Amino acid sequence: MYALRLFALLMCTALFGGCGYNTLQQQDEQVKSAWAEVLNQYQRRADLVPNLVNTVKGAVTAEKEILESVIEARSRATSIQATPELIENPQAFKQWQAAQGELSSALSRLMVVVERYPDLKSMSGFQDLRAQLEGTENRIAVARKRYIDAVQNYNVTVRSFPTNLTAKLFGFEEKQNFTVENEAEISRPPAVDFSEAPAVQSPPPDAAG
Amino acid sequence: MRRVERRSTVTRLCVRFGGVLLTLLLGTALAQVEVPPLRAPVTDLTQTLTAEQITALDLRLREFERRRGSQIAILLVPTTQPETIEQYAIRVAETWQLGRRGVDDGVLLLVATEDRAVRIEVGYGLEGALPDVMANRIIQQVIVPRFREGDYFGGLSAALDRIIALLEGEPLPASERRDRSVGDELGALLPLLFVIVFVGGALLRTFFGSFGSATVTGAMSGALVWLFTRALPIAIAAAIIMFVIGLFGGRGGGGSWVSRGGWGGFGGWGGYSAGRGGWSGGGGWSGGGGGFGGGGASGRW
Repeated sequence: MYALRLFALLMCTALFGGCGYNTLQQQDEQVKSAWAEVLNQYQRRADLVPNLVNTVKGAVTAEKEILESVIEARSRATSIQATPELIENPQAFKQWQAAQGELSSALSRLMVVVERYPDLKSMSGFQDLRAQLEGTENRIAVARKRYIDAVQNYNVTVRSFPTNLTAKLFGFEEKQNFTVENEAEISRPPAVDFSEAPAVQSPPPDAAG
Repeated sequence: MRRVERRSTVTRLCVRFGGVLLTLLLGTALAQVEVPPLRAPVTDLTQTLTAEQITALDLRLREFERRRGSQIAILLVPTTQPETIEQYAIRVAETWQLGRRGVDDGVLLLVATEDRAVRIEVGYGLEGALPDVMANRIIQQVIVPRFREGDYFGGLSAALDRIIALLEGEPLPASERRDRSVGDELGALLPLLFVIVFVGGALLRTFFGSFGSATVTGAMSGALVWLFTRALPIAIAAAIIMFVIGLFGGRGGGGSWVSRGGWGGFGGWGGYSAGRGGWSGGGGWSGGGGGFGGGGASGRW
């Protein structure tokens, strides 16, 4: 009798697990923690920037523009509220990603320019800061990769049958993932038109999808 | 005029397509460097170090792990191309899982001799004791000068001195090699074991009687526990316990079964002999489940 009851319990668990609810919960949680790590590392970089600028400022007075662009990019990147909800909102996510990308490129430009200043390069304070910045950029890369993997897992579950029914029922939506900067260009199908008709009459792009 | 233009667009597209195809093909051809299996603290795929030098480093690292619990591993590869040393290092770290689970106290010292690149990859738990700045200083001040002179062993050994000195200062949990993770996995297994014993046992009992079913469940539990934990004493203990539960947990056996109860233990021994094969094949050293987040520093010489 006892065995039978246990068996029934086991079957119930198996059935409940089969609809993917637990998987969704788990993967949703994984995405959230991966995202928190991403934000954490970007914050770490933003915190480093003032220090870096202060150290570099004295030595590279000739490069005022680049320093200003770094400061400006930082303030833009930190002005966007980086909340956990960002991954649910495509618009805000894109903005945030663009702002961080701007800071990335401003910083890398600064680090290239700094190569021209041997005195600065040999300063131990600057070397330490550079090590920290490099370490942080690497952490960002790792955190982004883990986030991409987590979202991929989650999105596949949300979209595939039969778990998509469960996802719909409980309101699990697809989450935003990182994109390479020129993704729009790569993913656009090449518009090969062999006809003699003027190109203006081409069908709207939506029809293809 | 317009026609010519269109044709040039088409050719340009063809070229672009060809380029995409080429990069795809190259991508598959230039496969990533494989992560070697972790068998010992020092893995040299470049034949840079002599056997004595490897043994010397190996002994120090094992001794340090016994004393402090943290795992440091050294890997020398010819190249990490097409990946950067950072990308390869995090892949190795994720595969090897150096350091204890939850403590995340692993360090990977990676050298790519042909790329003339070196990286210290630091586990989450040691980012305080061995921050990026210190890792960078060790590389710039200790490793790079020696590597430039071709003294690889000297560079690695001196770097270990510095790393170990830094880690000594860090208050970490006492060394208790992998006992905890075995306990964790056993905890996860327990429900499954009981299901096997009670459900499977009930079914088996109708066919084999209580002794036969207890033997089978005992052997199965032992094998299962060994499979998950790779710890023989625990597997044998589980086999015996499950045998006893199977024997008396159901309808209860007669007194005459008790003397033959030992056989149930031998059901577990099946797991033991299978276990030996796996143990010797598995090698003497493996990661403890530690996590890495990309901390550390890289350098070139």
